[in-house]
Amino acid sequence: MTVRWLQSRSARKFFRHRPAVVALVVISLYLAVAVAVLLGGVTMEQTLERIGPGNLPGFQGRQLAEKRVEDCAMVLDRVEKALKRPSNLRAALGEIRYGLLRVADRPPEELRALVDQGWEIYDELVESPDLNADPSLLPQIEQLERLTGQLFAPLSGWQSLVRQFRLLLGTDRQGRSIMLRGVYSIKVAIQIGVITAFISVLIGSLLGASAAFFGGWVDHVVIWLYTTLSSIPYLVLLVVLAYAFSGAVWQFSLLGRPLSVDVGNTLIPVYVALCATFWIGPCRVIRGETLKIKQLEYVQAATATGFGRLYILVRHILPNAAHLMLINFSLLFIGAIKSEVILSFLGLGVKRGPSWGIMISHSAQEVINGFFWQIGAATVFMLVLVLAFNVLTDALQDVFDPKHL
Amino acid sequence: MWVYIIRRLAYNVPVYLGIILLVMAALRVNDPIYGFLGKNASREQYDRFAAATGLDQPFLVQYVRFLGDIARLDFTTESWDQPGISVGQLLSTAIMPSLALTVPALLLTTLISISVGMISAYYRGRLPDRLLVLLAVLGMSVSFLVYIILGQYFGAFWLNRWLGYELFAIAGYKPGLIHWPRYCLLPVMISVIVAMGYDTRFYRAAMVEETGKDYIVTARAKGAGQAKLMFVHMLKNAMIPIITRVMITIPLLITGSILLEMYFNIPGMGRRLILAINAKDFPVVQTFTAVFAAVFIVTNILTDVLYALVDPRVRLS
Repeated sequence: MTVRWLQSRSARKFFRHRPAVVALVVISLYLAVAVAVLLGGVTMEQTLERIGPGNLPGFQGRQLAEKRVEDCAMVLDRVEKALKRPSNLRAALGEIRYGLLRVADRPPEELRALVDQGWEIYDELVESPDLNADPSLLPQIEQLERLTGQLFAPLSGWQSLVRQFRLLLGTDRQGRSIMLRGVYSIKVAIQIGVITAFISVLIGSLLGASAAFFGGWVDHVVIWLYTTLSSIPYLVLLVVLAYAFSGAVWQFSLLGRPLSVDVGNTLIPVYVALCATFWIGPCRVIRGETLKIKQLEYVQAATATGFGRLYILVRHILPNAAHLMLINFSLLFIGAIKSEVILSFLGLGVKRGPSWGIMISHSAQEVINGFFWQIGAATVFMLVLVLAFNVLTDALQDVFDPKHL
Repeated sequence: MWVYIIRRLAYNVPVYLGIILLVMAALRVNDPIYGFLGKNASREQYDRFAAATGLDQPFLVQYVRFLGDIARLDFTTESWDQPGISVGQLLSTAIMPSLALTVPALLLTTLISISVGMISAYYRGRLPDRLLVLLAVLGMSVSFLVYIILGQYFGAFWLNRWLGYELFAIAGYKPGLIHWPRYCLLPVMISVIVAMGYDTRFYRAAMVEETGKDYIVTARAKGAGQAKLMFVHMLKNAMIPIITRVMITIPLLITGSILLEMYFNIPGMGRRLILAINAKDFPVVQTFTAVFAAVFIVTNILTDVLYALVDPRVRLS
């Protein structure tokens, strides 16, 4: 089946479309990352962990001298406070960690000496009238950073690579790795996209095809249902449904054991809201296509041969509308990812862990302070995926549905 | 035509009944009273509240009552979150700010997108066209929220610092035409830019679709100039998809402005709805959704009437 398609005319047409092939490769890469995250490559805990001072720029970009000094002072301050509690020194020092970085296993006296040295340089630096504009102070700042670095245990080669990767795109306001958050969000986005698009296309094509094929009251009910749902503006319906299901706790018993699912904290409200709005598109298209297919000779032939109506629907009609399902899947995937951002901004989307929507809406505060790494990272991550899907959809439409406007 | 409008209205009655049914049912999936009073509300508190708001009645009674309110345009139900203020008051104060945002945005988007779409169609396949299509696809792939955040930063914050005085307000709203540019122009521009990505591509496709038609060949053979061809022949015939697109956009603009209104603190309908949702203000959510749906249905009917006005081939029957 697959081999046959690869030799078909539509496949040749598709693969001649160079950008579409690139888009397909990009999407596969994203999928691979999503699978890796799903298998535990990046856990949610890691995305919530503080790995460094807040608002570090990516690619070890240049920072204001003032902020560099402040970041060092924060570490010095925390270590000093821990040292003041000799009763449970180990525990207090153990709490100070930046991701993989831990406080070095040195005797307290040595640590204290380092901290004191650090404060000395700090005091000198703070004295200077304009820290940011004075390049002669740079060696001192570097020395302060080196001293602060010595407070932490050195990392092994692999660990320092991991740490560099995490710091690659900088940190957000709470010192969390933007890279990890962006990568983890790939999984969230693909999960939301695939589940929503799949369920919507499934419901839409089943209802659409049966409405057109059986006609009569089935058709009336389906038309009434989608006219009704599509008469509520899309975003309002989305928001109202997400609201209706958030905070709900479902209680049911499974094998005699009571189970309660805190629906509000899962992604279920998002799925319900997105699916309830998204199935309408494929339903309309498939209904129209089925009305056309129904008249064709092979359907009449099948009817004349005496096949059941359900058999004809599943065996002849649905496969011949499959290309439309594919196009709609691709369209809805984009829609789901973009809607997630809006829902998350309104506080109705992803509740736990990061997502591109959460990242973008959290970055609003950072943008005011002129920090663009988080919004930039989330936008680029999303842009590449959505762009790839846009290109793919266009190509699919060109190949399978050329008359479409 | 009037007969047609009335018939369409009658046809939409069951649809509207269904909308109200669905909305009311969906809003009761989660008990709205516990949502508002909190999970720890006592039984008496709950019962008193339910009796006062009529939520203790059977669903059917509530349904008929709500329908009656809508049919009589009686929006005197009191908001839960702001006691003493009726839903109708909230609606009427929220309408103007919303329209101040959406109407100019719709007009500008349509005008600019059609122009750009025509330019693109004129240069079809050549560099300007490819560039415009690429830009449109790129623009479509960025989230609305990013445009808003960056638009506010560069359009208000950064520009004000650079100019030395406040050209656009960072957020907020004041009624009156004099204040309009200060508070609304920036959000309107952002919404135009966002909508342009999709619209330009759509209008380009609509125009390109017409280029291959026989009547264009005929007109060209008769010696019609390129300008006349574009503006008189093609634009007129591309009117049907254009009207469809504009009419589809009207309800989308109400909702699209939810984000703009939230972000720029403009007290319009969208912002009211979201605030009501956050405050678990059940009557406001219910009524606003019903009103939005009514607006949507009326625009749909108007679309069909407009078709007939523009295209003599379409008969209203």
